[in-house]
Amino acid sequence: MLSLVAGQVLNGAIVGSMYGIIALGITLTFGITGIVNFALGEFMMIGAYATFALAERGRLPYPVAVVPAALIAAAAGYVCNKAFFRFTRGNLVNGLLVSIGLISVFESAVLWYWSATPIEMHFVLPGALRLGDVSLPKMKLVVFAVIVVVIALTYAALAGTWLGRASFAYAQNAEAATLMGVHTERLVTAVMLYSTGLAGLGGALYASLYSLEPSLGGVYVLKGMEAAILGGIGSLMGSLWGGVILGVIEAVGSIFLPTAFRDAYGLAVLVAILLFRPAGLFGDES
Amino acid sequence: MKRTDVIVASLLAGVLAVASAEAQNVVKIGQIEAQTGANAIYGWMSSQGTALAVDEINKAGGFSVGGKTYTLQLIALDTRGEPKEASVQLKRLIEVDGAKYIFGPFLSNVFLAIRPYAAEFNGKILMWGGATRIHDYVGTPGHEFLMRTWNWDAGPNGFGELMVDQLVKQGVKKIALLYQNDQGGKVMEDIYVGMFKHKGIEARLDYFEPGTKDFSTVLAKIAAWKPDYLFPGYADSYIYDIVRQATETGQLKKFFLVRGSLGPGLKNKDALDEYVVYVPKYFEEAEKKDPKVQKFIKAYRDFYKRDFPYDQAPLCSSSCYDHVYMLVEAMKKAGTVDDPAAVKRALMAMTYEGLWRLRFDDKGEEIFNFDVVRLKKGGAIEVSHINPK
Repeated sequence: MLSLVAGQVLNGAIVGSMYGIIALGITLTFGITGIVNFALGEFMMIGAYATFALAERGRLPYPVAVVPAALIAAAAGYVCNKAFFRFTRGNLVNGLLVSIGLISVFESAVLWYWSATPIEMHFVLPGALRLGDVSLPKMKLVVFAVIVVVIALTYAALAGTWLGRASFAYAQNAEAATLMGVHTERLVTAVMLYSTGLAGLGGALYASLYSLEPSLGGVYVLKGMEAAILGGIGSLMGSLWGGVILGVIEAVGSIFLPTAFRDAYGLAVLVAILLFRPAGLFGDES
Repeated sequence: MKRTDVIVASLLAGVLAVASAEAQNVVKIGQIEAQTGANAIYGWMSSQGTALAVDEINKAGGFSVGGKTYTLQLIALDTRGEPKEASVQLKRLIEVDGAKYIFGPFLSNVFLAIRPYAAEFNGKILMWGGATRIHDYVGTPGHEFLMRTWNWDAGPNGFGELMVDQLVKQGVKKIALLYQNDQGGKVMEDIYVGMFKHKGIEARLDYFEPGTKDFSTVLAKIAAWKPDYLFPGYADSYIYDIVRQATETGQLKKFFLVRGSLGPGLKNKDALDEYVVYVPKYFEEAEKKDPKVQKFIKAYRDFYKRDFPYDQAPLCSSSCYDHVYMLVEAMKKAGTVDDPAAVKRALMAMTYEGLWRLRFDDKGEEIFNFDVVRLKKGGAIEVSHINPK
């Protein structure tokens, strides 16, 4: 039993890091720009299908396909920002409506072109690593490492660069940031580009592990939202920790309770934590 | 009226008369199957075979009934496995298009949703579907419109029971069932949990949520129980993920399937020990022996201009290629295309020798020959041919 629990703690952390990368996108967009982008899961889906197209149809090696796939998702994010999201800043309801519309459009487009029948990529890195009785797929470990590095670099960039400080300044007081010389339009565009690109990267990594369906983004944006709230909206490392904690709760909960209600375990713990820490585990209580 | 107006009016009337006459000589076949979607595995292949047969019959000049020559018109709609969508589509097929012959559905959740509406047209339509839940209704009063185009799982001639008997012969003691928490999963539970118990095999059942992609936890739980085989549900959409994740970590290497295709086994053939699957026909072998199968595969390639999907094709036995030909034969025997009840009587009395040997039992449930494929590590394959009595 001990090895079963240990294995699922590790597995839950890896799966949770996938939630974390979406949570990071959510926390960046909402925390800095005030835009609610529920369509981030769709940019993840775009990244996943773009990776499949580039690697399977375009015959690009998987590691090479990941970068343009994330860029394609970011480009889609840029277009959506210019066309829709820039009109919804600070308006939760409008942001939500635009997101729902985009979810429908993107899913329908993929349905039309790829159909809803799941597709699977070739095995990028087959096999598993054994640690005693615990066995972890090698590709999952690679995915985990990539996500941790990306989130840590994002944190470092935001904490240690002028752009990062400008972002925080904009999040605190947009008008004051503008008066201090921050080019807010460019800043918001950059945040949207980065968050949708991150989601695209998440999709590209997802494609190496699971079969793809047009609706894949819907599940992950909900998990990402849960992780972002659990970690605390606005907290970058909190998004990673929120995802990891959520993943571990789901995995370990499913050992002792029926797997048919896996999603409910994370939600139950989220509600319990929010009762005591309304701003999330790493959020600013003030 | 000008002379030119008279000519135009006459031409128009002539065209309409010809069109009307042609419309009267068309038999409409409606089809409601999930051609896409997570559970499209059966509907997609079924709709492929139906379209091919309709095209062949029409290109051959149609068929004669009562001295008139008829062609077929197939109206195939994609339900995507959505019961609400299927309900609207069936209404359209019956009330707008006037189709009397409906192929599908294969999915039980779709069938249960459309059944009450379809039953309102009892005696006026004939519905051929593969859904397991049709078994509960076929042959019962008020459901004379219904026929089931799939072998029943349980009972002495049921394919499920025959396959479970093979496990008993092998000395299997424990089997783990991993099903999606939906109508299909409940159907499988109803059929197999009791059957395993009855046959002296200890069974453990776990459900997973629809949309699940990561099965690591439930697979680890199951592996700790040390079953002889894993029996992973009914749809390729998740069986691919389950087989990959189970074999990648080396936790579970033996699989037993009564639905789903050979595809997930073949993709993971080097990592598994055994993958036993019921298939209506193992086409790779049948192609070498049976000229009808060779002809079908060639026709498929020519019609769709793509390679034959060997891993999916076995699932096309349901409401598909053979059934179009069988329906036409039944219309000829019944001497009518407009009376579904008479056509049904002809169908019940006949045996059709196509890609499969098809006939119906006294309830209206199909009996046909099928294969059990045993895939071994590395890709070696053994095929058993089963001919139910």
